[in-house]
Amino acid sequence: MDNRQAQGTTLFTALLVLIGIGVVVQLWLLAASVDALMRHQQTIPLYAALGSAAVFAINGLLVLYVINFDRKIKQ
Amino acid sequence: MPEEKNKEQDECFECKKKQKKDARWRQDFPVEWESDNYVTRREMVKFLALGSLTIAGANAVLAGIPHIVKASEMPRTRVALASSIPVGGSKLFSYPTKEDPCILVRQGNGDLVAYSQVCTHLSCAVIHDEKENALFCPCHHGYFSVDEGRPYAGPPTRPLPRIKLEQQGNEIFAVGVEV
Repeated sequence: MDNRQAQGTTLFTALLVLIGIGVVVQLWLLAASVDALMRHQQTIPLYAALGSAAVFAINGLLVLYVINFDRKIKQ
Repeated sequence: MPEEKNKEQDECFECKKKQKKDARWRQDFPVEWESDNYVTRREMVKFLALGSLTIAGANAVLAGIPHIVKASEMPRTRVALASSIPVGGSKLFSYPTKEDPCILVRQGNGDLVAYSQVCTHLSCAVIHDEKENALFCPCHHGYFSVDEGRPYAGPPTRPLPRIKLEQQGNEIFAVGVEV
């Protein structure tokens, strides 16, 4: 395995872990939203939705970065 | 002699293995079961990204639910005659549907307040305790204040939904639910 490929593997694994953490945070926000709705609180689900959208945007950017990096390595 | 027998057996085993590998059905189904179920990191990343999108969507839907529910109009229902409820007295009614029991209470200062009768702990019916000036749940001894419907004793943690009231002359109408 050359250096470039090894670097790619490490980066890919790190990004996979980061995206995984993002999804766990989103699940936590979803659970908090459901809890707040059951308590008839309206503001918390709104903030949770904004936070979840932000985490999704970060995840999307990370995935795009991975895809581009992968394409460069293949070239 | 036993060595030769072993050798023959090994050759036979190899031969069978090769035959199995070259079998006709293998040409039609070349993918191994294990490799069919193998998930690559790339697939995992895609799965997580789609999961992230789904959860973000679910969160957006949850954030929109209170606004949709609020938008639907509540009926205007006649509850009682104001003069029929003395100070410290109460009256039971249903709002917004017949399956939603509520309680109307006249406080010491003469103000009328109404709440859902369903306890926010385990849905027993709360009753008016005139001595304690509270709404009392007999199932698990939960107490709610009559002023705001907030729990102050027992297991309930959430306040009772408040019924919005309007008075026209001597008549009292329920016009909405405040949660």
